[in-house]
Amino acid sequence: MSEAPFKFEKANRGLMERLFEPPAVGRMSPVANVVAYFLLAVWSIFVLFPLYWVVITSFKDAAAVNQGPFYIPFVDFVPNLNAWRAQFTEDANCNLSSIGRQFGLLVYNAFAFIVSPVVTLQPMEPQICKIFLAFTNSIVVSAASTALCVAIGSMAAYALVRVQYKPKFGNIMMFVALTVLVIAATTYTRAPWWASSAVALALFFFLARALGKHFTRTLGNGDILFWIISQRILPPIVVIIPIYVMFQAVGLLDTHLALITVYAVANLPIVVWLMYDFFSSLPIELEESAQLDGATRFGIFWDIVLPLTRPGLAATTLLTLILSWNEYLFAVFLATAKVQTMPIMVAAKNAGEKGVFWWEMCAIIVVMIIPVIIMAVFLQRFIAKGVLLGAVKG
Amino acid sequence: MADVTNNSYQPGTSPAGASSGMSWGEWLDRHSRTFFITPAVTLILIFAIFPTFYSIVFALSRVRFTADGLQFRFVGLQNFAKQFFGNDQVHFLGKTEGIGVLGWVFFGAVTAAVLWWLYRSLRITSPVGMLGRLISAAMAIFIAWIMGASLLAGSTIGTLLTTLFYVFVGCALQFVIGTGLAFLCSQPIAGKNFFRVIFFIPLMVTPLGVGYAMKMVADITKGPFEPLLRGFGIENWVWSADPWAARFVMMICDSWQWIPFIFICMLAALENVPRDHVEAAQVDGASSVQIFREITWPQIVPVAVTVLLIRTIEAFKIVDLPNIMTGGGPGSSTESMTLHSLYIWRSNDIGTSAAVAYLLLILTVVVCASFFNYVVLGQLRKARA
Amino acid sequence: MASGKAGVPVSFDKIQKSFGPVRVLEELNLQVEPGEFLVLLGASGSGKTTALRILSGLETASAGRVLIGGRDVTDILPKYRDISMVFQSYALYPHKTVAENIGFPLKVRKVPQAEQEVQIRDAAAQVQLGELLHRYPRELSGGQRQRVALARAIIRRPSVFLMDEPLSNLDAKLRGHMRAELKHMQEKFGITTIYVTHDQIEAMTLARRVAILERGVLQQLATPAEIYNNPANLFVAQFIGSPPMNVVQGALDGKAFMSNGAAIATSVGGRIAKAVLGVRPEDCSVVAPAKGAIKGEIYATELIGDHTLVTLKAGNDMLTVKAAKDFTAKLGEKAGVAFSTDRLFVFDECNGLRVR
Ligand SMILES: Nc1ncnc2c1ncn2[C@@H]1O[C@H](COP(=O)(O)OP(=O)(O)OP(=O)(O)O)[C@@H](O)[C@H]1O
Ligand SMILES: [Mg+2]
Repeated sequence: MSEAPFKFEKANRGLMERLFEPPAVGRMSPVANVVAYFLLAVWSIFVLFPLYWVVITSFKDAAAVNQGPFYIPFVDFVPNLNAWRAQFTEDANCNLSSIGRQFGLLVYNAFAFIVSPVVTLQPMEPQICKIFLAFTNSIVVSAASTALCVAIGSMAAYALVRVQYKPKFGNIMMFVALTVLVIAATTYTRAPWWASSAVALALFFFLARALGKHFTRTLGNGDILFWIISQRILPPIVVIIPIYVMFQAVGLLDTHLALITVYAVANLPIVVWLMYDFFSSLPIELEESAQLDGATRFGIFWDIVLPLTRPGLAATTLLTLILSWNEYLFAVFLATAKVQTMPIMVAAKNAGEKGVFWWEMCAIIVVMIIPVIIMAVFLQRFIAKGVLLGAVKG
Repeated sequence: MADVTNNSYQPGTSPAGASSGMSWGEWLDRHSRTFFITPAVTLILIFAIFPTFYSIVFALSRVRFTADGLQFRFVGLQNFAKQFFGNDQVHFLGKTEGIGVLGWVFFGAVTAAVLWWLYRSLRITSPVGMLGRLISAAMAIFIAWIMGASLLAGSTIGTLLTTLFYVFVGCALQFVIGTGLAFLCSQPIAGKNFFRVIFFIPLMVTPLGVGYAMKMVADITKGPFEPLLRGFGIENWVWSADPWAARFVMMICDSWQWIPFIFICMLAALENVPRDHVEAAQVDGASSVQIFREITWPQIVPVAVTVLLIRTIEAFKIVDLPNIMTGGGPGSSTESMTLHSLYIWRSNDIGTSAAVAYLLLILTVVVCASFFNYVVLGQLRKARA
Repeated sequence: MASGKAGVPVSFDKIQKSFGPVRVLEELNLQVEPGEFLVLLGASGSGKTTALRILSGLETASAGRVLIGGRDVTDILPKYRDISMVFQSYALYPHKTVAENIGFPLKVRKVPQAEQEVQIRDAAAQVQLGELLHRYPRELSGGQRQRVALARAIIRRPSVFLMDEPLSNLDAKLRGHMRAELKHMQEKFGITTIYVTHDQIEAMTLARRVAILERGVLQQLATPAEIYNNPANLFVAQFIGSPPMNVVQGALDGKAFMSNGAAIATSVGGRIAKAVLGVRPEDCSVVAPAKGAIKGEIYATELIGDHTLVTLKAGNDMLTVKAAKDFTAKLGEKAGVAFSTDRLFVFDECNGLRVR
């Protein structure tokens, strides 16, 4: 058989082998070590430098920014807190009492939303410093939309794993046709949108009852899953104009509710996709035995399934939270004044007439990215696992 | 015992007996399969499907905001035609007057390749599959022509090609670097957890923040590289005035943000390759290169193509970076299609804005569906078969 | 196919291995003779796989040296050691067919395609896999996968074969066949082979010598017969043999073993306060209570086929006796156990060592 030159003796190895061969399994050769650390160091600098620049810029003043680049605080420029003061303390409305009032209103509105037919929502504190307003808006919008999205998405994902759905192809086509009719009617005949949608909905249920049994072609869970996930392909710019018009029609422009729902829908495909994989990796026996014990489906979902997928749920929640926290395009359209979020606030700093206040903008960016970076440290393993699972299972 | 039987889950219970005594909770439970999925489907229908259809109306109309709501005037395909033949052509497609020799050669080569591919797939696909392939082929040929006529002829390119540049060149670059970094971090290196966390951070930073940070860093008069540029004697060179330099800066900044995504996914995939496979190959005498080519790579290909698909889908949506860093300039050379649409919206031409958005939708769907059907699906099938 | 490099000696020289605080191998000294078929036998977790991995270079020893063919290979990469190994987990490449899996060692050596095919077919035939060559590992049963792993190892003629429980997943008939096949091949080519198993029948039938490992310590290294007839310590005595050796607690008092007031004559002398008497079930016989060295009552009888296993309860000890297949007795009946003096083993209970 083939007699390769087996390099038994370590001493016999040539210089090249010493340099390029690892000394043992699980170690790296000297050259590979040097190259690897060099590349990793270069990339670390590439990644960290812009962030470093943002952080130090937030401690610069106009002079330090405008008079050429300065790199190291205390060495070539004197850091100061002007930018931070401008955001937080110099604003007359940034006092504790208005922040407290703002919080009170938030709580009140959260309650009022539930009983909104009876109580009317109060407008948010108008006399509040901008950064705090934006920060609370961002928190309210991203937290609420995440909660909504994860709740709805994981329910749907669970159902797709455990229940067989067989939507009829004909019914779907009928729905599409009616949708087109509603759109045509409201646009060209000036019929009120609520009237035409109500008629179409009633018509749909009637026709589905009447004709449904004649349709034979059905779709399966796989099709529904694919349909939901594929919504992620939809570029936001395609839907944002109609959504803007829709919210305008119902008078919900520039409200938290508008942003919350739109963000939730935008992230729904991701939640369904990730949670579907977590749920389908659960053994069915647990749920079956609970079923025999007489638990309801909601009970099973709440008491047994959700606790079991807690790690996946946590990862999905955090991912959704970060995506909504960073969202910009929808907010540009839908948050025109009162519910401006942090990204809008950052962008607004670009439009000052005295030029860009880079230092103030950097301070806001720092405020914005600190929470997500902390999360990132905890999140990266989760996300990789989740995405990987999804990728392998398709 | 009797109680237990009453409450227990009985799919076959006849509704006749149950209807009178059925409690609220039981009714809910009985219809739970509907309640589980209805909210998600409803939300998507209202906020994704309905607007997508509604958008067609916008795209086919001239829209005006009036005191009592929107006014639509049906204009047919005019908004679309404008992009291809009318006054928006240069903006969308680029200057396509003189197609040169190089352009013809490229166009011819691509067309021939696509037709050959179609001919070969004649035998293996169903009529529906063939229709899909015809659409992919048509788009490929069209894009090849546009590339030949504008890019390869040396004239201005439009937002269509700029978007494709961000998507294809950007994704390729991100994939190569991301996978390379993942490979490095999967090696036995001290402190790899540290690098792992560091490399992940950009993904979490808001794209807007990335835009501004990069704008500062890339600033040629006050940015950190100013002394360096001066050292090279190119302080008068302004990247944001050179279309291609500006595009490359956009793409690099986009990569700064997105390489981490590919990095963590590929790292997870690499670490998922069972260790004993590599060990068996080592004992069998394979070199590191052989091990990577024969053992590791084939096992991570399914993940790789999926990650690439996800990244491609998201890449088509690029808007924040060019919006912030260059405002689409110089001219419109860094405008992506989303930004193109956004700017038209700002000029109150809602119909045209919707038309451009729709073109983006068609482009995204055809490209991603092609990639999914011809590449990803095949790999996943191979992995799972 | 010349057995030019056959018969390479292998030795572990004071090998130690710990994973963090866990000590897995403690000063393992083991000389494998050229061309020998050595079986490493031990309970689960005793460090067998670890020893093989150190020999193959996949794991670095914490201390000590590994020698193959008299040369120190402690710091040599696995690919230069010229060994082939069957992994306990099979380690089949999921994206390669059976044929590609088997042929992989040849492929990395750039053996010409035609020759590869011939050898793949030979190796597959040896493990009776000829008709499955185009399947993927996921389409195979556990036993078939194991045979693919085996074929991938035996397609080459390396200096040393390392086999980590290569037959554990096969049915009894196939296992018997494969044992014979392996033994034949090993003798024909004379390649030094280290074979890991926890199945003592396999160890006894295959090995020229058996090394018994427990908690990382080599207990005895000897031929199968020697191990059976002359166990070095209590552990080996109890580990080998089925049903296991009977043990009786007691004390060694001069020439006799004292237990529960009964004195049993032994061939060894000495005084040990806490000693253990061992006797194999086939060296005992059930006799009338008066005649037995130990008295007890029948606890259970099991007909095994050509013999009956009788369990007796004597004080706190349970004794198993191999009796004729027509043996009958009522449960609870009084009975005695007799043994031949020269088949008794006495062990020191403190260190488990054999008292000779
Ligand atoms: N990588 C490792 N890290 C920590 N402990 C390990 C590692 N590998 C093995 N061990 C421990 O070393 C001991 C010996 O393991 P080894 O795999 O050698 O056992 P074995 O004799 O092959 O057992 P089996 O018959 O079950 O295969 C076990 O207790 C195991 O837990
Ligand atoms: Mg083992």
